[in-house]
Amino acid sequence: MKLGGPVVMLGLLIVQHGFPKFLQTLVNSVALGSLYALIALGYTLVYGVLRFINFAHSDVFAVGAWLSFTFATAFGWVATSSPLWGMPLVLLLVMAACALLGVTIEILAYRPLRKAPRLNVLITAIGVSLFLQNVGQLSSVFGTQPQRMPSLIEDRSLFTIAQVHIRLVDVTVIALALALMMALQWMVFRTRLGRAMRAVSFDEKVASLMGINVNRVVTITFAIGSALAAAGGLLFALKYEGLKQTADATWVLLGLKAFVAAVVGGIGNVRGAVAGALLIGVVEVFGASYLSPHMRDVYVFVILIVVLLLKPSGILGKAVREKV
Amino acid sequence: MSEVLAARGLSLSFGGLRAVNDFSLSLGSSDLAGLIGPNGAGKTTVFNLLTGVYQPDAGSVLLDGKQVNGKKPSQIAAAGLARTFQNIRLFGELSVLDNVRTAAGVRTRSGLWRSLLRTPLYLAEERAVTERSLELLELLGIAHRREEQARSLPYGDQRRLEIARALATEPKVLLLDEPVAGMNSSEKVEMRGLIQTLRKQFDLAILLIEHDMGLVMDICEHITVLDHGMTIAAGKPAAIQSNPAVIEAYLGAPEDETTAESEAS
Repeated sequence: MKLGGPVVMLGLLIVQHGFPKFLQTLVNSVALGSLYALIALGYTLVYGVLRFINFAHSDVFAVGAWLSFTFATAFGWVATSSPLWGMPLVLLLVMAACALLGVTIEILAYRPLRKAPRLNVLITAIGVSLFLQNVGQLSSVFGTQPQRMPSLIEDRSLFTIAQVHIRLVDVTVIALALALMMALQWMVFRTRLGRAMRAVSFDEKVASLMGINVNRVVTITFAIGSALAAAGGLLFALKYEGLKQTADATWVLLGLKAFVAAVVGGIGNVRGAVAGALLIGVVEVFGASYLSPHMRDVYVFVILIVVLLLKPSGILGKAVREKV
Repeated sequence: MSEVLAARGLSLSFGGLRAVNDFSLSLGSSDLAGLIGPNGAGKTTVFNLLTGVYQPDAGSVLLDGKQVNGKKPSQIAAAGLARTFQNIRLFGELSVLDNVRTAAGVRTRSGLWRSLLRTPLYLAEERAVTERSLELLELLGIAHRREEQARSLPYGDQRRLEIARALATEPKVLLLDEPVAGMNSSEKVEMRGLIQTLRKQFDLAILLIEHDMGLVMDICEHITVLDHGMTIAAGKPAAIQSNPAVIEAYLGAPEDETTAESEAS
């Protein structure tokens, strides 16, 4: 395959730069990929049940990051370091708050359009996105000043492998994201609610005729997707610390890359979203540290183009045959 | 005998087309009735009106004496009306067992939090649901395929699974949309026996759409004939068979077919 060339070249570069750099890059890429995964799951879950892209999802993620900041500062953990239970508490609070936000968006903005053409819902989603971005910038909400997230996790290295310090925050990001993804996987494939979600995803009309309350399933899906995005927001704030205003392009770009991850993995597919996110994370971070940091966004979208050319339904997606 | 399902003067138009016109029906508990008519007569539309997929322009649907038209399909299913589909519509990606368990969810009480926290009530309900679903699969003769994906089943078994799934909602009335379509004669005999068993075992009222006249005339006690959305005949099988309007609808007017067609359209 034609992909062989660049892969061999990257391999040579990795060998040339030595193992410590490789390991550090790997940890960074998996951490970033985990963040993408948490956001990508929200896109893919909502697409699964409603067949539309919730463009306001990246803003729920941004709100999650900002609310983490708000809660942490409200508890006064700026100057003094937070107690050990500080991070879990903030996590629960932002997840609950964003679940509520997601459900509110669904009920007020999307539910009235359930029978409207899909394009109407898509445009509404963009409207909701702009609304959240701009309301977030009001001085009574989050304001327009960039803020520094208080570190709820002690900044120290957990252990050292080959002179590389594995930081506690990276391990937390990866472990927590992994735990949440496993919980979701269990819920979707092992519980009654998950069964109902899969039934609605497969055929909403028949699910309704079999006594499933479709609106309830949709509401719960939004709650779960938004809570995961909120967790992603908190972890993002903890890892990268600087929070830019809610209408800043960084949030849109992060959301867009997570969306790309969902598409690359196969939109509507839970495992695919995680696989796609890790792939995107690895490609972006390895490309940035071994090739050129200025091009990091390019690598992501190149992956998108390659996947769409070779396997348009995504790496784990199923091919949909058009009936003729 | 008490009336479980009643349709009174149901009408529905799609644009200028009167799909169903003044349709009425009464089903007593454990009645077995047939709904027949040429292609495009509006039979499946009647099912869609009864189950709440479409809202009637006029008329009402009563289930156990309570009005259900205007309610959501899920509420009507919960009230005791279940159906199968002419073009099989299983949850293809789910396992056979999960198809049935999904429908059984309508009779459970534990909600989101209980299911996430795995409370004793939820776990007990899950066990009961699984057990009951397996019983239904056993009854339909497809229990050995419970772990397979629904879409991988052979055609006849998919029809059976649709019936098992409908029964899992514990209905009072079961609507079967062409249950033997595409089946060979031995499968048809089996399905006939099955329909009669289900009716006795679950004390179920069954309304059947079917093109196989042999089957309909044989097992139904009451038959309604639709043509172009109009009820052209209703009564016992023997009376339907000799009804001139029915014969005309199926075979065309004896003397001049072209006038009959242009009048109808």
